[in-house]
Amino acid sequence: MQTALPQELAAIDAHNHVRAGADGNLDVGRAEALLQGCSRLGIDRIAVSVPYTDSVVAPERYRAGNEVVWQAMQHSPRFIGFCFVDAHDPAAALAEIEHCIVERNMAGVKLYHQFFVDADEQRPVMEKAASLGVPVLMHAGKCTDPATMAAQPRLSNAGHFRVALEKYPETILIQGHIGGGGDWEWNLRTLEGIDSDNYYIDLSGSVIDAGIVRRSVDTVGCERLLFATDGSLEEGVGKLLAAGLSMREMRLICHDNFARIMARRKV
Amino acid sequence: MFDINTAIGHWPFRRLPRRTAGELRQYLQSYGVKGAAVASTPALFYMNSQDANLELAEEIAPHRDFFVGVATLNPGYAAAVRDLDTCVEKLGFRALRLSPCYHNYNLADGTADALLTRAGELGIPVLLPNEIVNFRQKHWMEPNQPLGMESVLAICARFPQVTFIGTEGGYNLSMTAPPNLCLEMSRYYSCYGQALADMVRKLGSEQILFGSGAPFKEIEPSLLKLHHCQIPDAQKELIAGGNARRLLGL
Repeated sequence: MQTALPQELAAIDAHNHVRAGADGNLDVGRAEALLQGCSRLGIDRIAVSVPYTDSVVAPERYRAGNEVVWQAMQHSPRFIGFCFVDAHDPAAALAEIEHCIVERNMAGVKLYHQFFVDADEQRPVMEKAASLGVPVLMHAGKCTDPATMAAQPRLSNAGHFRVALEKYPETILIQGHIGGGGDWEWNLRTLEGIDSDNYYIDLSGSVIDAGIVRRSVDTVGCERLLFATDGSLEEGVGKLLAAGLSMREMRLICHDNFARIMARRKV
Repeated sequence: MFDINTAIGHWPFRRLPRRTAGELRQYLQSYGVKGAAVASTPALFYMNSQDANLELAEEIAPHRDFFVGVATLNPGYAAAVRDLDTCVEKLGFRALRLSPCYHNYNLADGTADALLTRAGELGIPVLLPNEIVNFRQKHWMEPNQPLGMESVLAICARFPQVTFIGTEGGYNLSMTAPPNLCLEMSRYYSCYGQALADMVRKLGSEQILFGSGAPFKEIEPSLLKLHHCQIPDAQKELIAGGNARRLLGL
């Protein structure tokens, strides 16, 4: 049995997080633990963000979170930054995206569940990301339990992504964590036939249901999938190894697809 | 290597691979697993769970050198204690599994007391799954939430003579560590923070058991967690199989 991803893949974890410590700055111990854990499992680089789960997030809060991401990027070149914004205040969100992407070389925009991905309110953010040529990674799932449905009434699922692709045709969208909890089969059935160079879905999450990766490959194609863990490191690596993919498929999922997205950057 | 957490049979809400004893055995053996405790998935749904246990016994009969049967019983149903005796004494099963969420009772309401008392007399461990599949993807006919470790800790206190095995997560290091609680490890991390190693230090290496959750889940993550767990090899060997064999009397 393989105990790590092959080093030659130079695997990129497309969806992960860092946190602030008690003083509001990067929790260096936790960031180091993440780096070490990724090293054990053959993960080379890690895309990180600091998302907020509140229904409305004030700009000063997410600016502080993005500062932590910036500190992570300075702490280790293995960290790739994604900036989190909330579209409730479009002007502030656009200014923060400009600051993080252009001045701080972050790689993309991270959204949570403040609005659905296809909401009209997202238009300024979507168009800004498109103008910069960077992806939008969005928290997503098709949760069916009452507690999560009540807590996340604006949780985007694959249906919302299909609408968003039509609505924002210039924006690169990454649907977060097919294994992040929720009815992943529903998401995959909804994605059948999807054919857009602007659509990707990441494989992260703690759900390791038998066949989840193979079904994802069969449904959207390995060109649309991104390796990721969202903190569930062994789950992310283990379910990928379990899928029995070819080296070509592994290379696309673990590295080349993400690199192809990064190559579309315009600034 | 011994897997404490497997099942066979059809799952009503999703198509599972490896639903038969032969298929599951072949799969587990391909990863170096030498034996497994196996429960019946249909036993969660039959009104009369004992019929599913009888089916399980038939199914694993050609594989008794590999599988150890786990009785799944609804303590609120007729003859549950007698059924447990049958499972242990006639069918050769060596553990009991309770699933209050699927059988619609509460561990605290006394429904399971007689069955747990008998399990203690028989000296068999009791598996308590926190969930069968992740509750966030529940079918509308399934329970709304996981079992929850609080109720497991409470039943450990009420039945100190019974060894309980909590499967499918739910425990965290801020909780108490009763001496009669064991944990199946598939839901605890090793690479990012060494949570599994911390759990070994808190509960003791004799109380952590390797499990995969197959065929619901892929086995690789559990194998990676055990491999990367930073504990002495002797402790890993206990977790990999020694503890399960001791608890099951193998």
